[in-house]
Order: sequence, then C-alpha cells, then structure tokens
Amino acid sequence: MVQGAPVAHIRNNPDVCFVAPMPARVARISLLQGHKVSEIVFFHEPDGDVVSHDTTDVKTEPGLRRLMQRSGFWTWLRRRPFGGMPSADERPAAIVVMAADTRPFAPDPRLALEGREEALCRGLTALRLLTDGPVFLCQEAGAALIESTEARRIRVIDTGPRHPQAAAGLCIHRYYPAGIDTPVWDLHAEDVAALGTLLATGRLPMKRLVSVGGPALRESRLVRAQAGADLRGLTHRHVLPGPHKLLSGSVLDGHPAHWLAPRHRQVTVLPRDTLPKRPHWLIAALTQSASPKPVIPTAALDQAFAGTLPAANFLRVLSAGDDETAMKMGVLSLLEEDIALADYVLGGEAHLPELLRGMLDRIRTEFSA
Amino acid sequence: MNRGLWTRETVVMLLLAAYLPLALFWLWFGGIADVHRYALVLLVLAIWQLVFLLARAQPVSLSAVFTALAIAMLVPEDLGAFRLILGISFGAVMGELVFGGWGRNVVNPATVTLSFLGFGFPALPWPDILVPVAWAAIPTALIGLITGAMPAGVVLGAALGAGVAVPLGLLPSSTLPAAGVVLVLLVADPVTSATTSLGRWLNGLLYLALVILFANGWSGAAPVQLAVAAALLTSLAAPVLDEIALMIWYAERRRRHGRD
Repeated sequence: MVQGAPVAHIRNNPDVCFVAPMPARVARISLLQGHKVSEIVFFHEPDGDVVSHDTTDVKTEPGLRRLMQRSGFWTWLRRRPFGGMPSADERPAAIVVMAADTRPFAPDPRLALEGREEALCRGLTALRLLTDGPVFLCQEAGAALIESTEARRIRVIDTGPRHPQAAAGLCIHRYYPAGIDTPVWDLHAEDVAALGTLLATGRLPMKRLVSVGGPALRESRLVRAQAGADLRGLTHRHVLPGPHKLLSGSVLDGHPAHWLAPRHRQVTVLPRDTLPKRPHWLIAALTQSASPKPVIPTAALDQAFAGTLPAANFLRVLSAGDDETAMKMGVLSLLEEDIALADYVLGGEAHLPELLRGMLDRIRTEFSA
Repeated sequence: MNRGLWTRETVVMLLLAAYLPLALFWLWFGGIADVHRYALVLLVLAIWQLVFLLARAQPVSLSAVFTALAIAMLVPEDLGAFRLILGISFGAVMGELVFGGWGRNVVNPATVTLSFLGFGFPALPWPDILVPVAWAAIPTALIGLITGAMPAGVVLGAALGAGVAVPLGLLPSSTLPAAGVVLVLLVADPVTSATTSLGRWLNGLLYLALVILFANGWSGAAPVQLAVAAALLTSLAAPVLDEIALMIWYAERRRRHGRD
C-alpha cells in the first residue's frame, strides 16, 4: 500500500474511503460479526510512495466533496448532533474549526499550526463552499491566526484558557447550537491546514501533533504521529517502571486503548490503580448504599460547563431522561467529551457520559425518523 | 486517583468550615444551656439518620451538624425537651429524610422544624440574636462564597439589597442581625435555593423583600420569627424562580439563534 491509498469504503457510498495512513503492508484485518470491519493493522514500509490526488475540480462543491471523501479526509469530520462522521451528501448549517484545546496535557494548536497559516487559510476558504452558514474559527486569546481580509465569512472567536471553555460542544452550544435539521460539523484546525495542503499539492499530510503525557511517564513529549499509531510504540522507553495503563485521549475523556483513536491528539499514561480494598461492611453501608448520589449545585458544577448551561437543571433533566427539555437546553450540541469534566468534578459517580449517550440514541430513534 | 472531589460530603465539609465561626461565636456568647440544647438536637437528628440508614439504606450525612446548629440557634425558648424533640422529628423526617436525605430535599429541614415549632407554639418567646454573633455571619458567608459551596447570587442579592434598603429606611436595623443569620443558615443553602444564576439573585431579593414586608406589616413579630417565615416562603418559591430564569434564558437563546 502507498500512503493515501484507499483500503476500505462505505458500502453504500463508495466515494467515502478509509485510506492507508503511511506507506505500509497490511498485516491483519479483523472482522466482527456480519463482516463488519473492526480493525486493519498496517506494518510500516520505509520506502513507500504517497498517492497524489487530482485537484483540478476543487473550486466547485461536488469536486471538493469528492476529493475530501476519496482522500480519506471525510473521516476526520465530526457532526453534531449525535456525533460520528457526516453522511456523504450532508450539508451543515455551520462549521466550527477548533484552534484551541484546553484539556489537560493537550498539545497547543498554535504550535501545530506554526508555519502553516497559508494552508489553514486555504482550508478555511474551501470549507466555506460546503455550507451556507458561517464558518467559525475558535482560537485561544492572542494574536489572530488568520488575516481578517482573507476571511470575510469566517468568524473568529476567542475562547478562554481554562477547560472546558474551549470544548467544541460548548462553543457550538454558545455560538451556533446544532439541531436535528441543522447539523454542525466540527474539526480541528490542524486538519483544516492538512486540507489546505491537500488542495495545494494533492497529497494529504497524515501526521498530527500528539502530546504524550501523564504521571506514569519519565517526561512528557510532543510527537508527530498518524491516527491509529500504536500507543505502546509512542510511550516505549519513556514510562516509569511499574504497572501503567495507556489512554487514548485526555485523562478526562480518554479510554484505555491500543491504538490512537481517530480524532484524538493526546496519549495519557496513568499508573494502573490497584484494586481498591473493600471497605468494612458498616462503612460501606454508611457511605455507599444509595446510588446515584445526589448532585449538589455548587460553583464548581457551574464552572464545569463554563457557565454556558444552567448546570444543575441540565443534570437533573439528563438523569431524569427528559428528552424534550434537554433538547430545549441544547443537548444536541453536546457529546460525551463535553460533559466529561462535569462527570469528573462530581467524582465519577453520576455516569454522565453514559446518560448522555443513552439520551442521544433515544432522541435519534424517536425524533429524527 | 483521577476523580473530582465535589461529592455531597465534600460540600458538607465546606459548609461545616463556613459555619464554624458562627457556631464558635454563638457558643462563646451563649451559656451551658445552649450547649445542652445543641447536643440534644444533634442527638435527635443522629437517631433519625440511623433509623433511615437501617430502614431505607439511606447513607448518613454530616449535614446534620449544621442543621442542628440552625435549629439550636433559632428555636423558640422555653419549649421543653418533649416539644423540641417532636418538632425536630417532624422537620428532619418530613423535610429531609423522606425525600432521600440531604441533597434531595426540597425545603431545608431546619426551616421546617422552626416553622412547625413557631406556628405550633406561638406564645413562646423567640431568641435574640446578639450583635457579635451576627457579625460572625460575615466570615461564614465569605467562606461559603469563596469555596463556592454557598450560592453567590442568593447571599449577594440579599446583602446588596439590604445595603440599599437600610439607608432608605425600608428595613429597620433591629431586624438586621436575625435576618443576616437566617440568611446564611437557612436561605443560602445550596440544595434548597434556586439553581440558575438569575434565579439565585431573584431568590436573595425575594427573601429580602419578604423580610421588609414582614418587618413593616407584621406587628408583634420577633425578628427571628419573621426572618424564618421569610426563609420558608422563599424556599417554597425557589422552583418558580428557577422556572422564570429558565424561561428568560430560553427566550434569550431563541432571540439570538432563531430557534431553540
């Protein structure tokens, strides 16, 4: 396989391709029941080539869409509500480009974009073809990432420096809430710069800036790696001795994994906690017998939503499963990673991400049929 | 450990730290009778918590410590042990424990107890809040606000409103000590006050408005009595205030985004 060669496509949309992230040989393909692809593992081939795409037709929307889908860029997009990749012919009501990341140990997007401002501008200009609505660029306060003259329809938004002020869902909730008929796409600014490079050269850069950090490392570091990189390879020789676990994503919203997940830009290495000792039965009865625990509305909880939502009322609606009120409050703009901080703040006992996923699945079956 | 700390018992701990100055000043200026009363209230609350732990598997909470403080500080004098125990049992069980314990209650159990005893035995005298004890409510409110355990809008709304009302002559300054202590003990409770930010300001202002109304229109009422009555009505109105704040928020979002 050369880098960028399609290895799989969606069955009823042959244009939407998954491509090889590097010059490689296919090592293993594992399938789930019903011949669903679970994973395709590649071995790196040192002297491989890169696929060059035809970029003559990208000034029109169909041409741009086809290029994005064939080059594998389409799989980097994420839509709200409900999350996941947008369907091939979906037209978003707005596109939000995140050039800010406030999660703990997250790589600084400004570092990733250094020297690629021109590509970012080209990518943003191309994204304007895909939507009638606005294109937002969320950046941390500071020098502007793009010249304002180059981007007339692009709205630049300054976000705060504390998590979750630059969580994509909360920015979307504040500036352009997603609805069932008005999907909003969000993607990372580094990916937009990659799109700009693709449009200029015909070759899609696959590497992204990934931070490897966490308390079980000797030192944290920044690497450039492909999505799907082996986490053990990224942390080899850098972990402290002793048992540890590897998370793809941040400590708040990450999950134990073997490979770097598609939209993640950080790897967290935590010491593996030993199994907690079972408390005495009387202590357990005194403290753990009622579940779920009540949520006390404090200033910490309001801060966990960056003040964009009435936090206590939203959590009450979420745990009661009141879909219609939650939609009024803006649940359709949110995904699990946006309320991960609230879950953390409440001690992980409220299981908010699971509640949110259940509610979103229910809304999808009931309202968007 | 990668878990946050803002569980129920953390909030209780922070509130305990906040109420510490108030409790110390009250005990310092009170007598041994106050200590006895506090111990009795705490004992009754502890017994009811134990009953609900055994019968309903409801975890116990240290919140009983500051509920007991509020009851012991503000309860009418000369009640006698039997009526005191009756009132506390009613307040703790019907105000808090039947709803699932502290954090799920809709009214403050101390407010219920005090209203029950106050309306049930109207002839008994209400306690006076000494001025030094009332000053101790200020560090209490500060600790509560800085840690975020007390709702800022409620305390600030009532305090700033009082700062306007007293110079205008609307609120007699003799009611201020009682109103302030009741504000930090009963009204600025994170669970039973309003939860939206606008609702919290409305909550504080409503409490102040009721205190002004009662102070001017309820002849013969003791300062503590009218403040407790205002606290009860305010906590009953808190969900309405939240609903108003949410309706305004929905309307604002609809105006800005053109849809929900």
